[in-house]
Amino acid sequence: MDNTRNQPSAGKFWSWFIPIGRQTGGWAFALNRVTAIGLTFYLFLHLAALSLLAQGPGSYDNFLALTENPIIKFGEWAVVAAVFLHGLNGIRIILTSFGVGVTRQKQLFYGFMIVAVLIILIFTARMY
Amino acid sequence: MSQSTSSYISAPRPGETSWIWLVKIVTGPLLILVLILHMIVNHFVGSLPTGLMTYADIVRYYQNPIIPAIEILFLITVVTHSLIGLRGIILDMNPSRKVLSAVTWFFSLLGVFSVVYGIWLALTIASKGG
Amino acid sequence: MTENWKITLRVYRQKENQASHFDDFQMEVNPDEYVLDAVERAWAFHDRTLCFRHACHHSTCGACGMRLNGVEKLACITLIRDVTNNGATLKVEPLRNFPVASDLAVDMGSFYRKMESVTARAVLPVTEAEIENPPSKWDADDSQYLRLSDCIECGLCMSACPIMATTPEYLGPAPLAAAQDQGLKRKPELLSIVDGEDGVWRCHSAFECTAVCPSFVDPARRIMNLRLQVVDMRLRKLFGKS
Repeated sequence: MDNTRNQPSAGKFWSWFIPIGRQTGGWAFALNRVTAIGLTFYLFLHLAALSLLAQGPGSYDNFLALTENPIIKFGEWAVVAAVFLHGLNGIRIILTSFGVGVTRQKQLFYGFMIVAVLIILIFTARMY
Repeated sequence: MSQSTSSYISAPRPGETSWIWLVKIVTGPLLILVLILHMIVNHFVGSLPTGLMTYADIVRYYQNPIIPAIEILFLITVVTHSLIGLRGIILDMNPSRKVLSAVTWFFSLLGVFSVVYGIWLALTIASKGG
Repeated sequence: MTENWKITLRVYRQKENQASHFDDFQMEVNPDEYVLDAVERAWAFHDRTLCFRHACHHSTCGACGMRLNGVEKLACITLIRDVTNNGATLKVEPLRNFPVASDLAVDMGSFYRKMESVTARAVLPVTEAEIENPPSKWDADDSQYLRLSDCIECGLCMSACPIMATTPEYLGPAPLAAAQDQGLKRKPELLSIVDGEDGVWRCHSAFECTAVCPSFVDPARRIMNLRLQVVDMRLRKLFGKS
């Protein structure tokens, strides 16, 4: 039978990031993936920027002036948010991977996300 | 069972993937711990009004040998966790064995390079003081 | 006496070598009936070419798995009032990740072969089953009492899994759950099948499988447990114990 529709295909990986119609766990998975990619991008950017430290005080402190730029400030905030969303969801994954709370994974997700939002709010207040 | 199922079953190199997963799941909580330390230190104790540290702050800070040690530990942990994770995402795109092998090599080299670079940077900063 | 509802049944149609489309059937239904009843009525009174699977009508055969408004369900136990409203449209589509054979019937062959490859058990001794409130100690001859496996091989989990969507190679929730059900200690030959990139490590804890399972298999929990079994076996091999 010649039927290539409705079958698994590598191209469907975009469906991870658009969890329409999925349930709590599916949204958690998408959130974790998106924050993971964002944080990885930030990581290597950060490592590259730090090379300025080796060039001496002038270069680095000039670079620090950039951090006053509102776009950069927003980026920093986004990194903090991503860290807590990814980290707390990650704790949930560790717990369930070891069989703890598997039957309550939805509640775990909501609980951890509420904690994440609270922490992010605290950081936002502190940063601005 | 008359029909061969080998086309439906992957042929993993036995045991390889368990270890990779274990590393991922160990670096996770380790990362959380070291990250908390890193964030407190880098964003709350600096002399700038934002809490960030100036060049002078950083150099002074790195004189205490425990600091580069923690930062290097942090670097190794985060690079490992992040690259294993990225490889996992690429795995989900169902690459061929050749592509997967190339990706694994590339990430391994990138990881080693990043850690070596980080260690060099930490030691360089530490040497600028005193 | 329940008032009848007027709903639109929007059904996915696809015959061999043709493009797919949706057909709308305007129906008057009793909302306390099941979606499968509506589909059958659409076939009986509106379009005899509509193809779908059904058998037991009480969630033990797993034949009527389909997506209702995008969510995987067994149509025979899903009340119409739970998935739509009076005057609304109910979208009916086949399961994801399997080739469509005809309309709502998909080719489940790859799934059954995977279940076979992990020697999934349809029947197991009650002493090995995960049941609520087991006795603190089984008697020696209790293993003569047999129980049907919870998994009815309906394929809802295979459709809901986001990883299954990207590759047919992944074993999938039900086969992995079936492997866990037997236990790697009892069946060590399963280790090499489930310990791999397309086995237990491909799961990313989306939990979509457990969310749609109609039969209390809880595949996600079983996959998590299976992982620990795999790690345990690998550690034992590493340290030379067997």
